[in-house]
Amino acid sequence: MSENESDDDARTDGSGSGIVAPDDETPSWSERKERTQGLSRLTYEYFERGRREDQDLRQQSDYVERDVLAFPAWPHEMMRNLALTSFFVGMILFVSAALPPEMPNPANSGVTPAIILPDWYLYWSFGLLKLGPLNPDLAILGGSKIMADRTYGVLANVVVVGFVAIVPFLNKGSARRPVEQPFWAAVGMSGVVFSFTIAALSIKNLIPMDSHLLFDLTFLLPVVSATITYAVLKTMREGYMFTLNRRYYRLRPPK
Amino acid sequence: MADEFMKGFAALMVGGLGWMTIAGWYRTPSFEGAQLIGEAPPAESLTVFDTAALLLMDAFFWFAIFGCLTFWVVLPIVSELREYLDERSA
Repeated sequence: MSENESDDDARTDGSGSGIVAPDDETPSWSERKERTQGLSRLTYEYFERGRREDQDLRQQSDYVERDVLAFPAWPHEMMRNLALTSFFVGMILFVSAALPPEMPNPANSGVTPAIILPDWYLYWSFGLLKLGPLNPDLAILGGSKIMADRTYGVLANVVVVGFVAIVPFLNKGSARRPVEQPFWAAVGMSGVVFSFTIAALSIKNLIPMDSHLLFDLTFLLPVVSATITYAVLKTMREGYMFTLNRRYYRLRPPK
Repeated sequence: MADEFMKGFAALMVGGLGWMTIAGWYRTPSFEGAQLIGEAPPAESLTVFDTAALLLMDAFFWFAIFGCLTFWVVLPIVSELREYLDERSA
């Protein structure tokens, strides 16, 4: 008896017409029982309802099939966001309630501090003001410099910020992962490393290292890190199926 | 496997936060020097509660270390070994 002739028989092994769920997708009795109460029940209902709403939308005639099907914002995305928000709010409450408060002496506005530094997140900009050794002595001008070292430092800020602003126009960033465009990933990595090394240069008084070596490392380490990044990503690219990823996100075509 | 990760992570978080809180009170003599690992107060000035808190601080610390090591390293190795031995004997 072949399979086509056995229409009357109810097949429960999943190999039939598809009306009966295959064995490996059918929930076992213990799984059904686990879903009857509490959070597991709630989660199950959320996902089941999301799936059902998606199915209903598909069956309506005016529904436009999307390329990327996703979970609905409510409840799935909102529950995720609420969980993350609760975590961070809880962490803030815990730290502020349980740890002893820092009460340093009030600032004395009449005395200049020994070390003048900006806040740590501006160290990179402060370090760019210390690029005086790079300011060239021009032979045409009789060995004098075309601009003062401080002007040079300020212009260095303009150059770096300008480069950061230009990169998005040079590369629109259609890649989803660094392996897809190793060169641009290397450029970004060198920028990250440079922001750290230039920040270290700005506090060179506090760094236990020869300041000339530190100055050279400031510019060498970004190049080294870019090379390593490029080599590693280029190696990882072998056999990596990112074209699959590209096809999946058709909503955001490259270029 | 995800459960094992979460258990180890929970041990690390609970132990770490507990250690950080108590060390913030007892091992941070000033906010301009070593924090959390600074000088503990001398033993003769401690009350019973202080001694208990310092004991709890060490307990939290080692709970964080051994908790995550257990769930991330030891238990997976044990299960791998068991699978290997089962395959070998089968």
